[in-house]
Amino acid sequence: MVKRRTFITTKSPNKYINLLLTTLVSILIGAVIMLALGHNPIEAYIQLFKGAFVGKLNLGTTLQKFAPLLLTSLAFATAARAGVFNVGVEGELYLGAIAAAWIGYTFTSLPGPILILLCMVVAALVGAAWSYIPSSLKAYLGVNEVCVTILMNYVALYITSYLVNGPLSAKTGVPQTPTVAAGAKLAQFMKPSQANMGLFIAIGVAVLVYWILNKSTLGYKFTTVGLNPLHAEYIGIKPEKSIINSMFLSGAIGGIAGAIEVLGTYGYFLDNFSSGMAFDGMLAALIVKNDIKMVPFMAFFLAVLKSGALGMERYTGVPKSVVDTIIAVFIIFATMEALFAFLQKRKAKLVEEQI
Amino acid sequence: MNFDSIFDYTLIYATIRAATPILFAALAAAITEQGDITNIGTEGIMLTSAFAAVLVSYTTGSWILALIVSMIAGVLMALIMAVAHIKYKADITAIGIAINMLALAITKFGIKQFLGTTGSFTDPKIVGIPKINIPFLEGNKYLNGIFNNWSLMEIFGIVMVLLLTFLLYRTVWGLRLRSVGRFPMAAETAGINVNRMKYQVMIISGVLGGLAGAHLSIGYSQMFIENMTNGRGFMGVAAMFFGGANPALAWVGSLLFGFVDSIGGRLQAYGWPSQFVLMLPYIITISVLAFSMWRKKRREEKAKSSLTIATVKN
Repeated sequence: MVKRRTFITTKSPNKYINLLLTTLVSILIGAVIMLALGHNPIEAYIQLFKGAFVGKLNLGTTLQKFAPLLLTSLAFATAARAGVFNVGVEGELYLGAIAAAWIGYTFTSLPGPILILLCMVVAALVGAAWSYIPSSLKAYLGVNEVCVTILMNYVALYITSYLVNGPLSAKTGVPQTPTVAAGAKLAQFMKPSQANMGLFIAIGVAVLVYWILNKSTLGYKFTTVGLNPLHAEYIGIKPEKSIINSMFLSGAIGGIAGAIEVLGTYGYFLDNFSSGMAFDGMLAALIVKNDIKMVPFMAFFLAVLKSGALGMERYTGVPKSVVDTIIAVFIIFATMEALFAFLQKRKAKLVEEQI
Repeated sequence: MNFDSIFDYTLIYATIRAATPILFAALAAAITEQGDITNIGTEGIMLTSAFAAVLVSYTTGSWILALIVSMIAGVLMALIMAVAHIKYKADITAIGIAINMLALAITKFGIKQFLGTTGSFTDPKIVGIPKINIPFLEGNKYLNGIFNNWSLMEIFGIVMVLLLTFLLYRTVWGLRLRSVGRFPMAAETAGINVNRMKYQVMIISGVLGGLAGAHLSIGYSQMFIENMTNGRGFMGVAAMFFGGANPALAWVGSLLFGFVDSIGGRLQAYGWPSQFVLMLPYIITISVLAFSMWRKKRREEKAKSSLTIATVKN
């Protein structure tokens, strides 16, 4: 009896089926909302699909939105590996972005590729340094990191806003920095959209992060600490160190995301440019429960929803915020571990019968 | 810089005024923390009910109705969290973040759908929560400046602090709740229905969060702005941590933030960049949070070391 029970509980629940069901349920709820507003949901979803994929501009916009989303979702998932909820990716992104912009328009004499590399490295360092504040508070004092990181987002936003309105302003009346050197800009493809080479940098970073988290000792330490800090301490892994290291990595990825936005999409730092990019990334990571293999797909799915929403609003009149609502409902269902437990129960019964 | 004009008697009321929205949020977080739930979703509960309050006040012209509806809205949001967390085992932090996202999305959607604008909404038809005017205080400049013209909710906030303190530390229900917070399994063994307790505190938290939101949109100001809570819910959670989930100490925490907020506003007149003034409350919140957790850690270490001495002696 005991043996059988352990067998059933250790069998991994089929999370992919759960994810699929959650997706369907949230799309259905979205359809119900649209119906209630007097719109045709099928038409709306078709326009959403068209708005994301059909045409060079639409597909390019989807890809352009995908690059930072991929990075921010990875940033969140990396910290979550060690059991830290890093809601502060937004702040890291802003600070990384402004650092990249400053390097980009100051050291104009450097050759292009080196300048780009320098921008990325400095942005990553700034992001990592910023993440040290919440991570050290969490590791050594046990301060709730969600609270600290969210509050720090506001601080980061105001710091960049001050810089871009004061010392680093281009003095054009618009709160933005001077444009970075031509060599520092990431090449755009699929014009007239703003898709750029940052996409490939993001994918490269994703591969690297996957390797670190799943194949390296560092990643193993993160996972062990995330699963059980006491156990980690017992087998000689310092939880404090792993928490701080995972946040360093997370902050660095966030900083790179900001640098890509500046060097690829805009060419300068614009005050308040992100509009919750990092929060969308966090949602992508939360929905797939930080499964690093699924994160890129979910980030892409959200990028599709986000860029398709514009087309949907334009052609059917369904407000864009409906899509935000669908995503929020999606994540609420996705966080409920036991929502589709009845499936597992049925499976468990089957297994029992087989035995 | 003229210190007299920064630190004068009007600062007292300014502090209380700025602290009240945070106080309600802190109380909403404190009551759930006592029941072993860290309510990160306070921000979302506040935002939704702030919107509900403005909507009802604008359409019906009744602030009492607005207050009631905003409490219902708060409870609904809290119940989504409660069901997801207690019944379906959602991680409380994840569902809290999700609720905040949902609140942001539905208020953004609601402001477009029901009020026909985007960004912010204000209208003379919005009826605010009344202020209490005591004519007999008007004669004295100081009494008038400190005690007169309080918003009803500012008084109610202080009443709630006393009420919750009584509820938590002087009633059987409070004792049971605190035992759930300390060690849920032991409470279960003692015959306390832990899940029911948790649902109850989440509902209370929804009511308090609803009041916080209503006060923000139709008491503190008379408008609704997209994401108008602006981290106040999280400041409330921070104030709760500062007070170790004790309502009275959490009140002290929110007063501290209110104080910094008011001083910041005054410093702006002396040419401080507005961004520095705006980030001041957040920085203070983080520092205070760090300090209070450092103190807690010190205390726990002390308690532990005395425990080991006791066991050695035995």
